[in-house]
Amino acid sequence: MQKDRGGLVYKRDCLEEHIEKRLLATKGKILVTPVEPLNKPKALTQYLLVEFEKTLAIEPEGTEKIFLTFPIEIAVYISPDKDFEVIDILTLTRQKFTLYGDPGNGIICKYWKSDVFSTMPSVNPIQEGLMELTVANTNAQWVELTKAVFNAYGMKLYYSNTMVSMKASMNLKTRNRAETDFLDSPLKKGMKKSLEVYAARKMSITAPKFIMEFGL
Amino acid sequence: MILNKVLYHSVTVFDLITAALIVIIAAVIAKVLSLYLRRFLKEKIVKEHLEIIAKVVSYSIIVIALLMVLPILGVRLSGLLVAGGIVGLAIGFASQSIIGNLISGLFLMIERPVKIGNAVDIDGTAGIVEDISIIATTLRTFDGLYVRLPNQNVFTSKITNFVANVARRFEYVVGIRYSDDADKSVAIIKNLIEEHPLALKNPEPQAFVDNLGDNAVNIIVRIWSPATEWYGVKMELLWKIKQALEKEGIEIAFPQRVVWFANELRGWEGKRSEPRHPDLGENA
Repeated sequence: MQKDRGGLVYKRDCLEEHIEKRLLATKGKILVTPVEPLNKPKALTQYLLVEFEKTLAIEPEGTEKIFLTFPIEIAVYISPDKDFEVIDILTLTRQKFTLYGDPGNGIICKYWKSDVFSTMPSVNPIQEGLMELTVANTNAQWVELTKAVFNAYGMKLYYSNTMVSMKASMNLKTRNRAETDFLDSPLKKGMKKSLEVYAARKMSITAPKFIMEFGL
Repeated sequence: MILNKVLYHSVTVFDLITAALIVIIAAVIAKVLSLYLRRFLKEKIVKEHLEIIAKVVSYSIIVIALLMVLPILGVRLSGLLVAGGIVGLAIGFASQSIIGNLISGLFLMIERPVKIGNAVDIDGTAGIVEDISIIATTLRTFDGLYVRLPNQNVFTSKITNFVANVARRFEYVVGIRYSDDADKSVAIIKNLIEEHPLALKNPEPQAFVDNLGDNAVNIIVRIWSPATEWYGVKMELLWKIKQALEKEGIEIAFPQRVVWFANELRGWEGKRSEPRHPDLGENA
């Protein structure tokens, strides 16, 4: 951010991108925070699909707490007063999209592959976040899981100097159907709440839950 | 006074002016309200739904105004119902094509094979759907032309909607030389697809030797991409594949023909050990 002819100029030259914006403001705050991984390279979808490195089997009527990684993007906001406006978003993670379901009825999702951890692993906080996922199997049979799909508009991200995190839940309704949701609480005490892009844009998210109906 | 002058039955000039004013005011309100709705809801709901809401509101106001005006003009609605059948028959004969378009328009709105903003091909005309009105469907062709198609034609024509499904597949045929390593080529191509964010992970892309052609080993490459992005990905990836293969010494084969001479060419004798084009056999 530079002062130029009485105004402000925001410049970024990295990741094969050159961004330069003249800001018509004389004062304001800058906020850099992790956000939902939905904006790069293009805002095509609101869904995030995390594929597990290994298939997970959950015992009948069991509840398990697991840890997954997820991609993050970093947003640069400017605020002249109370409202924050995004001026730039960047990411250091590899981008990939996938289809969940069939081409006729399915949905395009942001794709990410993660190991399944039983304890909190260490991750690079500028590339990946850590998700605590509580999986509840309400069925009387074992259920196998290969992926989790989330409506990422409802993500509740928290961050500290060492970690970006969120909490989510997955309720296995049948052997082929599950409901995912986010919980609005930090993984550790003292973590700050992120300002998600969709919250900053004041978009009303009516249904942050997602029903996985095209298989688990 | 002229305002009280009776024109027909008990309808006066004042009634006529009142009726005209009601219709004009209703039309203005309908226009203003639909404009306001378009602005207010622009970023809140999808364009296609917005257009339908705006049209329903606009037409409803005008229909209500007309129903209010008819009694002022001395037209009894109960009488209209009796006359409706006969009038309807007359209108039907007089405006067959308009009614046909109107009914087709209603069916198009119910069935919704195309939506506003979709890239479509209707009866050989390809473009983006700009508007679906009650009578006609408007397309903006990919070269920027305005095309108005009567709804009756749209409804009875073959429609291809390029974005009705969320993902679509495209393919290339990459011909490499017989002397090149096909497995290595397939690996390079798959790696390149994997690196492209908009080439979908699932359905899995395919790259395999499809046939041994006259001039090349043909590798078929099939890639799924979001329906809104496929053309950009298609344009981008083919050249990248060519460059990546060439970087590894694999070349795209060109048409060639091996000519056998009954008698060796003069001056060729004794030169068999000289280096030759890799695709040409030793006996050529």
